[in-house]
Amino acid sequence: MRNEVLLLLVLALPFAASVAAAFFPANARNAEAWLAGAAALAAHALVWAAYPYMSHGQVLRFDLDWLPALGVNFMLRLDGFAWLFAILVTGIGFLVVLYARYYMSPADPVPRFFSFFLAFMGSMLGVVLSGNLVQLVFFWELTSFFSFLLIGYWHGNAAAREGARMALVVTSAGGLCLFAGVLLLGRIAGSYELDVVLRAGDAIRSDALYLPALLLVLAGTLTKSAQFPFHFWLPHAMAAPTPVSAYLHSAAMVKLGVFLMARLWPVLAGTDAWMWTVGVAGLITLVLGAYVAMFQNDLKGVLAYSTVSHLGLITVLLGLNTPLAAVAAVFHTLNHATFKASLFMAAGIIDHETGTRDIRRLSGLYRFMPITATLAMVAAAAMAGVPLLNGFLSKEMFFAEALGVEGPSRALNRALPYIATLWGMFSVAYSVRFIHGVFFGPAPTGLPRTPHEPPRWMRFPIEFLVLACLAVGMFPALVIGPFLDIGVRALLGVQAPAYSLALWHGFSTPFLMSLVALGGGAVLYVMLHRYVARGEGTEFLPPLDAREAFDRALAAVRRWARALERLLGTQRLQTQLRWLVIAALVAALWPVWLRGLEWGPLAPTPIDAPLALVSALGAACALGAAWQAKFHRFAALMLTGGAGLVVCMTFVRMSAPDLALTQLLVEIVTTVLLLLGLRWLPKRTPFAWTRAGALAALPRRLRDLALAVGCGGGAAALAYAVMTRPLPDNTVSRYFVENAWPLGGGTNVVNVIIVDFRGFDTLGEISVLAVVGIAVYALLRRFRPARESLDTPARFDAADDLLVPALIVRLMFPLIGMLAGYLLLRGHNLPGGGFAAGVTLAIAVILQYMAGGTRWAEARLVIRPASWMGAGLLLAGATGAGSWAFAHPFLTSHTAHFALPLLGELHLPSAFFFDLGVFSLVVGATGLILIALAHQSVRHPWN
Amino acid sequence: MELIVAILIGVLTGSGVWLLLRPRTFQVMLGLSLLSYGVNVFIFVMGWVRDGVPPIVGQGAAADFARFADPLPQALVLTAIVISFATTALLLVVVLAARGLTRTDHVDGEEDA
Amino acid sequence: MSPGNHLVVLPIVLPLAAGALMLLLDERRSTLKAAVSLVAGVALLAVSIALARLADAPLPPVYAVGSWPAPFGIVLVADRLAATMVLLVAVLGIAAIVFSLARWHRAGPRFHSLVQFLLMGLNGAFLTGDLFNLFVFFELLLAASYGLALHGSGTARVRWSLHYIVMNLGASLLFLIGIALIYGVAGTLNMAQLSARLAEIPAGDRVLAQAGAGVLAVAFLVKAGMWPLGFWLPSAYAAASAPAAALFSILSKVGVYAVLRLWLLLFGGTIGADLLFYGGVATLVFGVIGMLASQDLGRLGGYSLLVSSGTLLATLSRADGAVTGAALFYIVASTLGIAAFFLLAELVQRSRALGADVLAVTAEAFDLADEEAEPGEKPGTVIPAAMALLGLSFACCALLVAGLPPLPGFVAKFALLAGVLAPDPITGRAWALLALLTLSGLASVIALGRAGVRIFWAVEEPTVPRVRVIEMAPVAMLLALCFALTVAAGPAMRYLRAAADALHAPQTYIESVLPPR
Repeated sequence: MRNEVLLLLVLALPFAASVAAAFFPANARNAEAWLAGAAALAAHALVWAAYPYMSHGQVLRFDLDWLPALGVNFMLRLDGFAWLFAILVTGIGFLVVLYARYYMSPADPVPRFFSFFLAFMGSMLGVVLSGNLVQLVFFWELTSFFSFLLIGYWHGNAAAREGARMALVVTSAGGLCLFAGVLLLGRIAGSYELDVVLRAGDAIRSDALYLPALLLVLAGTLTKSAQFPFHFWLPHAMAAPTPVSAYLHSAAMVKLGVFLMARLWPVLAGTDAWMWTVGVAGLITLVLGAYVAMFQNDLKGVLAYSTVSHLGLITVLLGLNTPLAAVAAVFHTLNHATFKASLFMAAGIIDHETGTRDIRRLSGLYRFMPITATLAMVAAAAMAGVPLLNGFLSKEMFFAEALGVEGPSRALNRALPYIATLWGMFSVAYSVRFIHGVFFGPAPTGLPRTPHEPPRWMRFPIEFLVLACLAVGMFPALVIGPFLDIGVRALLGVQAPAYSLALWHGFSTPFLMSLVALGGGAVLYVMLHRYVARGEGTEFLPPLDAREAFDRALAAVRRWARALERLLGTQRLQTQLRWLVIAALVAALWPVWLRGLEWGPLAPTPIDAPLALVSALGAACALGAAWQAKFHRFAALMLTGGAGLVVCMTFVRMSAPDLALTQLLVEIVTTVLLLLGLRWLPKRTPFAWTRAGALAALPRRLRDLALAVGCGGGAAALAYAVMTRPLPDNTVSRYFVENAWPLGGGTNVVNVIIVDFRGFDTLGEISVLAVVGIAVYALLRRFRPARESLDTPARFDAADDLLVPALIVRLMFPLIGMLAGYLLLRGHNLPGGGFAAGVTLAIAVILQYMAGGTRWAEARLVIRPASWMGAGLLLAGATGAGSWAFAHPFLTSHTAHFALPLLGELHLPSAFFFDLGVFSLVVGATGLILIALAHQSVRHPWN
Repeated sequence: MELIVAILIGVLTGSGVWLLLRPRTFQVMLGLSLLSYGVNVFIFVMGWVRDGVPPIVGQGAAADFARFADPLPQALVLTAIVISFATTALLLVVVLAARGLTRTDHVDGEEDA
Repeated sequence: MSPGNHLVVLPIVLPLAAGALMLLLDERRSTLKAAVSLVAGVALLAVSIALARLADAPLPPVYAVGSWPAPFGIVLVADRLAATMVLLVAVLGIAAIVFSLARWHRAGPRFHSLVQFLLMGLNGAFLTGDLFNLFVFFELLLAASYGLALHGSGTARVRWSLHYIVMNLGASLLFLIGIALIYGVAGTLNMAQLSARLAEIPAGDRVLAQAGAGVLAVAFLVKAGMWPLGFWLPSAYAAASAPAAALFSILSKVGVYAVLRLWLLLFGGTIGADLLFYGGVATLVFGVIGMLASQDLGRLGGYSLLVSSGTLLATLSRADGAVTGAALFYIVASTLGIAAFFLLAELVQRSRALGADVLAVTAEAFDLADEEAEPGEKPGTVIPAAMALLGLSFACCALLVAGLPPLPGFVAKFALLAGVLAPDPITGRAWALLALLTLSGLASVIALGRAGVRIFWAVEEPTVPRVRVIEMAPVAMLLALCFALTVAAGPAMRYLRAAADALHAPQTYIESVLPPR
C-alpha cells in the first residue's frame, strides 16, 4: 500500500468511525464497542505496517494543498518518534475501548461516549502526525475540546461539569498561547513546516524572539501536561468515566504536552531559559504531585496526583538539556503509559465491583478478586519503581541523570539527587498505600455491592499491559529496545546518545538511591498509615481547593466585566446621542483644527432684504421650537412647521422651485402626521420650577448647549466656506444641464436627473417609502394607545384642530386630484413630478378623513395602499427592466414618438412611466401611513 | 447674503442638536426634523451659484451651464427630503408605540430615577 | 452591452421585484408569499454565484445604469469584494427566510417583503460605485432593518428599536453632510472619479473634503458599532426576532465595508489609520467585556458582533494586502457563524426559562387577535434528539466565535495574525493585536463555555424544545458552509486576497469605471 494513503487512513479511520458511532441507537453497547475497537485496532495495525520504513529511519509524508498563500499545507508526517506515540495512542486506545464496553452501564448513552472517544483519538493522532505546526495547533485545540466533552460525559453531576469546564478553560487558554508561540516560531524559521523548524534550531535559539516564543509554547505544553502551576485541573478531571481517565491521563491527553516538548526539544532546548522554565516547573510538579498523592483517599485521586508527578518527572528529564535525559523521558513516557493505564482500569474495576473508590472504606479485597489484585500490585510496583519492572528502569535513568546534572544553578545541581530520592520515597509510599489499603487487611464492611472478579474481557487489557510492564522490566533491550531506538533516533538525530537498557548496572549510586527510596518509602508509609488512620487526611499544605478558587476567579471576572460594562457602556439614548454628536464634531473639526479653514475667493453677494427677513423668521421659529418643545408641544410643532416653510421660501428665492414645491407638500403631510400622533403623547403640565432642580440640571444643559452651539457654528462655517468658493469647474452637473433636453428629453433638469440621469436613486428612494409604509402599518396594527391618553374623545376628528369646513374639503377632493394629475404630467419639463403629485393626492385623501372622519371616508373611498405601492414599484422596476428588451442597461430611457388624432405629435419618454410608478407608490405609501395613523382613533386601548 | 444662509443653517442645526439631546421622544423627533431642514439647506448650498436661474432649460440648443443654479444638489435634496419624511413618519409611529407599551414618553422607556 | 453584464444589476432588481410582487398579494396568502420569497432567495443565490465568478477577472465588470456614462450616471461595480458580500447576503437571506417559515413570518404583516427589500438595500450598497447612491441604499437597508427589528412588536423590541432608529437617523444625517461636503469641493459623486480628484484638489479645499470624510466615517462607524457609538447594538439585536437578527449580523459588516471601500479608494488608507486602530481596539475590548458580562444568548451574539467589528477595524487599519485579505475571510466566517448563532439562540432559549422574556415579547405580540396570530402551532416535523443537535450546533458556533478549530474562525485568526506579525520588526501594535485576539478567544471560550454548560448540561430534566426541521436546516446549512470554508480555505483565501489587493491598488477599479480614452 502506498504510504501516503496509509497515513491518511490512520488519521481518517477514527474520525469516520466517530461519525458513524453517533448514529447508533442509545443502547447499542456491543455494536459501538465493535466499531470503536475495530477502528482503533485497524489504525494500530496500519501504524505497525509503517514499521519497516521506521526501522530504516525513513520519514513518511503526505502533503495536500490547504493554505498555499500562507505557506501552510495539510501535511502528515510520520517519523520514528511520531510512530512511537501513534502506536501508544492507538494501542492503548483499543484496550480502553475493550474495557469501556464492560465498564459503561447499559443506562449510559454510549453512542455519545464512543463518538467523542474516537474523535478524541483522531485528534490525538492528528497532533502526533502533524507535519506543520499550525495543523498541530489545529488538532491540539480539538483534543482540548473533545476531552472537555469526555470529562463532562456524566454532566448530571456538578463535579463533572466543573471539572470539564476547568479542563477546557485551562487547556484551551494554553492552546491559544501555543498558537501565538507557533506563529512566532514560524516567523523566525520562515515556515511552519516541522522539517524546516526542526532544522532551524540554532537560528531560533539565537533569535530575539526566542524567549517569548519559548514561554508561549511552554504555556501550551505545561497546561496540557498539568505541570505546576497549571496542575490543578487534572485531579478534577477525574470526574470523568474511568475509561476516559485511563486514556486521557495515561497515554493520551496529558502526554501531548511532553510530546510537543520532546518534539521541539532539538529546537528549543539547550538554553538556560529552557532549563529554568521546564526543569523547575517539572521539579516542583514532581515532588508536589507525589507528596499530595500520598494523602488522597480516592483511588483515582491517588492515581491522578501520581500522574501529575510522573509527568513532572518526564518534564524534568526533558528540562535537563542532555540527550540521555531526553531518552529517559521518552522511555518513561512509554512505561508510565503502560502501568498507569492498567492502574486506572484496576481502580475502575474496584469502583465498578464495590461501588466505592474510597481507600478508607476498602480493604482486604484480595480474597474477593485475587487476579485483579495481583495485576494491580504488579502495576503499582512498576509505578513505585521496583526492580524487574519497567518503571524501575526509567527511574534508574532519572537518578543517573540527576547525579550528573550540570544546570546553571550549582545549588540545584547538588540538591537534585536528594530531591529525586525523596520523590522515590513518596512514590513508594503512595503505591504501597494504594495496594495495602485496598487489597489487604480485614474484609471490607458495608460496601454498596459485594465485590467479585470482573468479566474476563474487562480484565484482559490490564493483563496485557501488566505483562508488558514485566516483559519490558526484565528484558528491556529485547522487548522495547528496538522501538525506543527508532523513536530516539528520529527525535534526536545525530545527537542520539549511546545508552544501554540493561536491567542490572551493578551497585551504582542510582541503585543505592533506589534502595533508599524503597526502604524510606516503606517506613514513610507506616507513619503515614498511622497518621491517616487517625482520621485527618490533610497534607500539611495551605487548604487550597483549586476548583473553588477557579470558580471564584471566574465569578470575579464576571463581576468586573459587569462593572466595566456599566462603566464603559450605557443603555441611555441621550448619552449615546451625545457621543454621536461629539464624534461628528471632532471628526469635522479635526482637519480644520490641523489645517485651518479659509474662506473662498468670492466676495459675498449683497444682502437681499426679503430673504434676510425670512431667514431671521426661520431662525426664530427654530429657536422657539427648541425652547417650547418640552411643554407646549402644539406650539413647538407649529414653530417647526414655520421653520420648514422658511426653508421652503429659501428654496424659492434661490431658484429651486422643485425643492420648494416638494418641501411644501412634505411639510403639510408631516405636520398632519404629527398632529395625528400628538394626541397619544402624555399631556405635560409644567412642573413647579425649583432652583435646586434647575441647578442640578444646569451642567448637563450647559454641556448640551455648548454642543448645540458648536455643531451649529461648525455647520455654518463649513457652509459659508463652500459658498464663497466657485463651483468646481469640472463639476458633473454641467453635463446634466447641457444634456437634459438633448439626451434626457426634458427641460426641467432636476426632474430629468431624478427620473433619468439618477433614476436609480429614485428607485431606491421610493423603495424606502414603501418599506416605511409597511413598517408603519405593521407596527400600528399592534398599537394600542395608552389608557390615559384616551380621555380625549375617541372619535377621530382632527377637523376640530384644523378648522377646515368638511364640505369645502369634500369639494376640494376632485380639484386636488386634478392638480395632482397636472403636476405629474408637467413634471418632466416644469416643477412637479411623480412625487409631488403623489403627495398631493395623498393629502387630498387624508383631508377627506379629517373632514368626514374615518368611517365616512372609508365608506366612500376604497383605497388599497399596499396594492398602489406594489403596482408603483413594479411599474418603476418594469420600466427599468424594459430596456433589457432593447439590450440596454437597466433604466435606460426611450422616447416613443407617435402622432395621435387631435393631440398631434406626442413624445412619450419611458421616464414618464417610471414617474408614474413613483406617483402610484407615493400615493400608496403616504396614504397608508396617514390612514393607518388615522385608524388608531377607532382602536381600543390595551385591555 | 451667503452669511445669512449660513447662519440659518447654523441655527437650524444647533436647535436641532439641542432638541436631539433632550430626554423626551417628541423633542428628539422635532430635533431630527429641524436637523434635516438644516442638512437639506446645507446640501443645497453646496451647489451655490450666484443669481443662477432655476435649472429649466429651453428646448433646442444646448443650454449654457453658467446661467443656471446647480441642479444636482437640488436633485439630491429632493431625494433627501423624501427619505427624511419617510423616516420621520416611522419614528413618529415608533414613538407612539413605545409610549403605548412603556407608558412613558422618555427615550429610554423609563423615567430616569 | 453583453447580456452577461445584466447580472450585475440583478441582485438589486430581483429582490425589488419579489418584494413589490408580494405587496400585491393579500395578507393571508402566507404560503404563496413564502414560496415567492424562497424562490427569489434561491434565484438571488444563483445570480450571486454567477456574479462571483464574473467578478473574478482582472478588470471588475461595470454596469452603467440607464446607460449614462460614468461619472455622470450611476455605475455598479461588481469587483470581488462586492461579489463576495452579495453572495454572503444571498446565503443569509435564504437562511433567514427558511427559518422564518416555521413561525416568524406570520408574526407580523409583510415580513417577506421587508426581507426582500433588506436584501435589495444590502446588495445595492455593496455594488454601487456612486457615493449618493450608496446613501440611498443605506437608507433602504436601514429602513428595512427598522421594520425587521420591530417585527413581532412587543415592549423590548419597540424600546430598543427606538434607540437603534434614532442613532441611525442621526448617522444618516451625518452621511448626507459628508456627501455634500465632498461634492461641494470635488464636484462629483462617482467614487472612482472622486478617488482621482481628491488627490489633486487644492489644499484649501482638501480641508473641507477631509472634514466631509471624517463625518462620513462617523456615520459608517455607527453602523459598524465602534465604541463608543455602538451601545445600541447588543440590545437591539438581542431583542430582534431570530431571523431578523441573523440578517443583522451582516449589517454591522456593511459599515465596515463602507469604511474599507471609501477609506482605501478615496484616501489610499493613509489618514485616520490611528483612529481606526484605537477605535477597533476599544470596540474589541468592550465587546469582550460585554461577552464576559452577558448571560442572555442574544446579547452574547450582539457582543460577539462587536468583537468581530473591533477585530476588523483594528486589523484593517494596517492597510496591508495580506491582512486585508485575511480580514475579508474573517468577515465571511464570522458573519455566517454569528448568523447561525442568532438563529440558534432562539431555538435554544425556547427550552429555557431564562429566555422567557424574549418569548414573552413575541407571545404578547401574538396573543392579539390578528389574523396571523397563532405562533407556529402548525404541527411540523419535529426533530428527534433535538437537544443533541442543538448542543452540537451551539458548540460549533462557540468554536467559530472563539476562533478555534475546526471552524474557519481559526483559519481567519491565523491568517490575520500571520499577516500582522509578518513585517519586520514586530511593532507594538502587532503585539497588542496578538495579545488581544488571543485574549478575545479565551474570553469567548469562558463566556460561551459557561453559557453552553448552563444550557445543555446543568439542567436535570431538559425540557426538549420543539425544534422543527425547517428551523434546524438553516443553522445546519450555515455551519456546513463554515466547515466547507475551512476545507476550501485555500481557494477562498486566494479569491479574497485578490479582492484585497484590488482594494489596495484602486487603479484597476478607477480604470474599469472610467476607461482612459
